[in-house]
Amino acid sequence: MKKWLAPALFVLLLTPSHLHGQDLDPGKILTPPTDSWPTYNGDYTGRRFSPLTQINKTNVGAMSLAWAFQAHTQGLQSMPLEVNGILYIAGGNQAWAVDARTGRQVWHFARPGESVSGGNKGLAMWKDRLFLTTFDAQLLCLDARDGKMIWQIQIDDPALKAFGSMAPLVIRDHIIVGTSGDTADLPGFLQSIDPMTGKVEWRWDSMPKPEDPAWKTWPHDTNVVTRGGGMTWLTGTYDPELNLLYWGTGNPHPVENGDTRAGANLYTCTIVALNPDTGKLVWYFQTSPHDTHDWDMVMTPVLFDGPFHGKPRKMLAQAGKNGLFFVLDRTDGKALVSEAFVPANWLSGFDERGQPIPLRDKEPQPDGVLVTGGVGTNWQAPSYDPDTGLIYVNSREAMGVFYLTMPGKMAEGWAGRDFFLSSKSMLKAIDVQTGKTRWTADTEGRGGQSGILSTAGGLVFTADSSSSLVALDAATGKVLWHMYPGGSLGTGAMTYELDGRQYVVYPVDGVIYGFTLPAP
Amino acid sequence: MKKPALVVLAILGVVASLAAQGAPPRAAAPTPAELAAQAAAAERGRVIFKENCSACHAEDATGGRGPDLIRSSLVRHDKGGDLIGVVVTGGRPDKGMPPFPMTQSQISDIVAFLNAQISLFDLHTRYGPYPNDIPAERLATGTVEAGKAYFNGPGKCNTCHSPTGDLAGVAKKYNPPDLEVRFLYPSGTPATAIVTLPSGKTFEGTLLLNDDFNVAIMGKDGWYHSWPTSAVKIEVHDPLAVHAELLQKYTNADMHNLFTYLETLK
Repeated sequence: MKKWLAPALFVLLLTPSHLHGQDLDPGKILTPPTDSWPTYNGDYTGRRFSPLTQINKTNVGAMSLAWAFQAHTQGLQSMPLEVNGILYIAGGNQAWAVDARTGRQVWHFARPGESVSGGNKGLAMWKDRLFLTTFDAQLLCLDARDGKMIWQIQIDDPALKAFGSMAPLVIRDHIIVGTSGDTADLPGFLQSIDPMTGKVEWRWDSMPKPEDPAWKTWPHDTNVVTRGGGMTWLTGTYDPELNLLYWGTGNPHPVENGDTRAGANLYTCTIVALNPDTGKLVWYFQTSPHDTHDWDMVMTPVLFDGPFHGKPRKMLAQAGKNGLFFVLDRTDGKALVSEAFVPANWLSGFDERGQPIPLRDKEPQPDGVLVTGGVGTNWQAPSYDPDTGLIYVNSREAMGVFYLTMPGKMAEGWAGRDFFLSSKSMLKAIDVQTGKTRWTADTEGRGGQSGILSTAGGLVFTADSSSSLVALDAATGKVLWHMYPGGSLGTGAMTYELDGRQYVVYPVDGVIYGFTLPAP
Repeated sequence: MKKPALVVLAILGVVASLAAQGAPPRAAAPTPAELAAQAAAAERGRVIFKENCSACHAEDATGGRGPDLIRSSLVRHDKGGDLIGVVVTGGRPDKGMPPFPMTQSQISDIVAFLNAQISLFDLHTRYGPYPNDIPAERLATGTVEAGKAYFNGPGKCNTCHSPTGDLAGVAKKYNPPDLEVRFLYPSGTPATAIVTLPSGKTFEGTLLLNDDFNVAIMGKDGWYHSWPTSAVKIEVHDPLAVHAELLQKYTNADMHNLFTYLETLK
């Protein structure tokens, strides 16, 4: 016994300092983000709403640059995390830790001999560990202190062009991670991973098993259901009280040939509610049955509570790539609102469940078909402001032409081609009670769409499509601050308070900008 | 989804590793001589494939009666013919594929051809030039007469365009889907603007930027100019505006008829 005493003591001595170090307190993710931004969406709700008010409608005009961090990379789409004064940023297969006060680098991670940049959406943090998905479909566990890799596991098959780009989601002692890719026909899934060991705890598949009623939503004269799609490109949300994990799934495959897969094709283009302890499906709502336009419905399922038409409700809202906006009761998945937020000619209406009914003649045709509705919005995050009751969505009113290039039942892969013709970008503020747009801010110009942050300071932070960073009045859309950063904003802005000062952080291409009010 | 990642992934290609632990192995970049040898093998493979395999798998290997080999898991996990060779020489009797008694070098050439096709398709999954681009006859499902009538009638295309003027030979200039997409909406056509300063002085040129904050033009004087949007009067002439308006009015039949007509302008 005695010989064990020394190591035990050593552990005891280590533990207290360890706990008072820079670890992420898991409880932080349960509260609205103030002094930290500990997860992709700031907290579990996906609202991207901060209760901070130091920067507000009256003073945002004076907001100015505090620091800039040059990552010497390209195309950052990462949402930085901020925990105990350190920012953690992903980009391609790389990661950085940066001082949130000064913008100076703490460490940089890249695998030996590799420098892969690009559109990784962000890191997840559990205690003193960080989790990074890579383009060769691995999940890496890094030590948050120094960026050293602790373990790596293979999540999916890169030979079939599956890849990782999502920010994983931490739920208690589990890392929830999915997969991306649509070159070949791949089945999507979510996995729960043990953060200590990398061991897979459960796996939920987007493709149903024969005993599942959803099996009948696919034909079975071919093996299409084994290949089907339903990729889990983006990060889901979580309700700790209901203990339900919410995730949007991607489009079915072959992408633009619906003849190969007659039926609704569950669980593609679907919001699923899973038990995060078991991975078992609790309910689903299909936001785009039998999609044939690559309108993966993986956009954030945003969670909020409040009265709906006078009655208290736990709600979930999603604005989708197919141009439709839904509000569901998130206890059971029943639709409260089903409404188009951009012109959409591909559906005849909604069924009794509130799911859209797609028109057969708007499926891709060999000689082309004109379709409106997509891409109504994309991966760039929306935001919900509980003070205004509005969901802010960077949207696009667009028309495309869709060609079926690979007809017949043997089709695989994309099986079609589509071209955007004209499109008009605008930020829409959508009333969650009705699904109607209350105001729009025209963001037409060069550049693309950007993610959104709203704050209790009455502000919406995003970028317009000529790439200027902007702060808008959350109630009216009026521009109150702007700055051209020399590149495009991707995932959106985040905010935190440090040393009594509120920072607003915008990742733009290879640079992270930190803004504050001038020092008093 | 938008996938900027895919290009990077394709470049990564050989770096990608299924190893669960440790850093992925890195392959040295092929030398020009090795690349030339691969290309030659792929060319030989193309001929062998065309003769033996294309009847079922199509000349470009995207499948027809038989499976698409571009998205095949077996093909993509093949290492130097170890998986493909077995299928070729043994056939798939249960699926109607006969055995093809081929030599190892013929199989290697077929593998080289399939790898070349996979690289091509993975880079052009959705955008850019497909090797099997859409033939005109598939798009020309309308009638020339109806297209011409639309051109000179409800479309009012003849207000700005002429089949013997700016559109002469237009069907030779663009491949069929590009021609259709361009007449539907010729994006990229720049707008021009006349900017009037408070002094009354005017500048005219190609519009480069016109947002809430600033306006910029490339002036007819050959110089770049910019002003705060609030300080000037801006008159924009956008040749796309009429196309944007028309785009909302096209029926699918209008589109097919117009294409059928324009495709005759060779």
